[in-house]
Amino acid sequence: MAELAGVFATAHSPGLTGFPERADPAKRDAVMRGFGEVAKRLADIEPDAIVAVSVEHFTNFFLANLPAFAIVTSGRHLGPVTAEMGEFLRIPQRHYAGAPDLAQHIYRYALNHEFDPALADGGFDFDENFCVPLTLLGTQAPVVPIVVNGVNPPYPTPKRCYDFGRMLRGAIEATTAARSVVVLATGGLSHWVGMPEAGTINEDFDRDFLVRLESGDAERLTDYDDAVLDTAGNGAHEIRTWLVAAGAAGAPFDTLAYEPVPEWLTGTAVAAARI
Amino acid sequence: MYFLHKLLWELRRDPALAARFRDDPDGVLDEYELEPVERAAIAARDFRTLYDRGANPYLLYFCALQIGVSRADYYEQLRAERVGGES
Repeated sequence: MAELAGVFATAHSPGLTGFPERADPAKRDAVMRGFGEVAKRLADIEPDAIVAVSVEHFTNFFLANLPAFAIVTSGRHLGPVTAEMGEFLRIPQRHYAGAPDLAQHIYRYALNHEFDPALADGGFDFDENFCVPLTLLGTQAPVVPIVVNGVNPPYPTPKRCYDFGRMLRGAIEATTAARSVVVLATGGLSHWVGMPEAGTINEDFDRDFLVRLESGDAERLTDYDDAVLDTAGNGAHEIRTWLVAAGAAGAPFDTLAYEPVPEWLTGTAVAAARI
Repeated sequence: MYFLHKLLWELRRDPALAARFRDDPDGVLDEYELEPVERAAIAARDFRTLYDRGANPYLLYFCALQIGVSRADYYEQLRAERVGGES
């Protein structure tokens, strides 16, 4: 049976790798120190696999078939999806190792525990969602991607995301496919994509969200409706991935970094669960 | 709205389609069941009209970049005041 050895959550803004120099140097350094702290902890843990929870920005899925949750069970994942995106992110295209046995276990466990995620058993490519944080964290651990719809309403509710995370923890602790597993959520915090407000940061929203995350209080953390999330931009709906991580952790988080970075278009945060 | 979204998505994903759209927009647009106002707007690279109709901002923005509308031009369109007080 595996140990859930760490739960982390980070931003995945393209600017983090694609145009870091545009940010205020003090803010950039603070954010990179946060990523560095997670990288160090990951190196200490040496997990057999990382369950990485993010959205995907219409790189694979579309409105013809848009899962609320999906589990990717393939043996490897291409990222970034195109060479062009690789240049934009300044991340060379490569294949990331998957962890199919663990992924299939999680999929089966989910179905047996009243969750019905979509199955993606191949052909799933990464965009900034996974490439940016995995590159900054410098990890080569196999990755089980889990996708939450945070890009097109209606979305899964915050409570459902948190409960998905609780289920995910149960799945990890019940697997024989790994001994040590880390959960890594990516996305958020406030930002607007393709909307007139792009470049705005809702710092009040972000800091309040981090306070709730630090409290470990599931009720406060899931007490969001879409109208409140919309005040922090269409991109703020990505905090659903953080709620999955919070559900998996079942514990308060420490904020390792938070900076509002208009040049990266995001309230940029890094956090780790106290487990 | 589905076929508009499909067009936006496929233009972004398929460079050959985007190239064909530049050379023969009507030929490409004939392949999608668009509302007349949607068809006119995308032919004119008028992303503001499509945004105001409620198209997904991610799909709009990514498509704009793919078919040669710069980031600055895209956001300028969205931020422009509407003539006649319409917002």
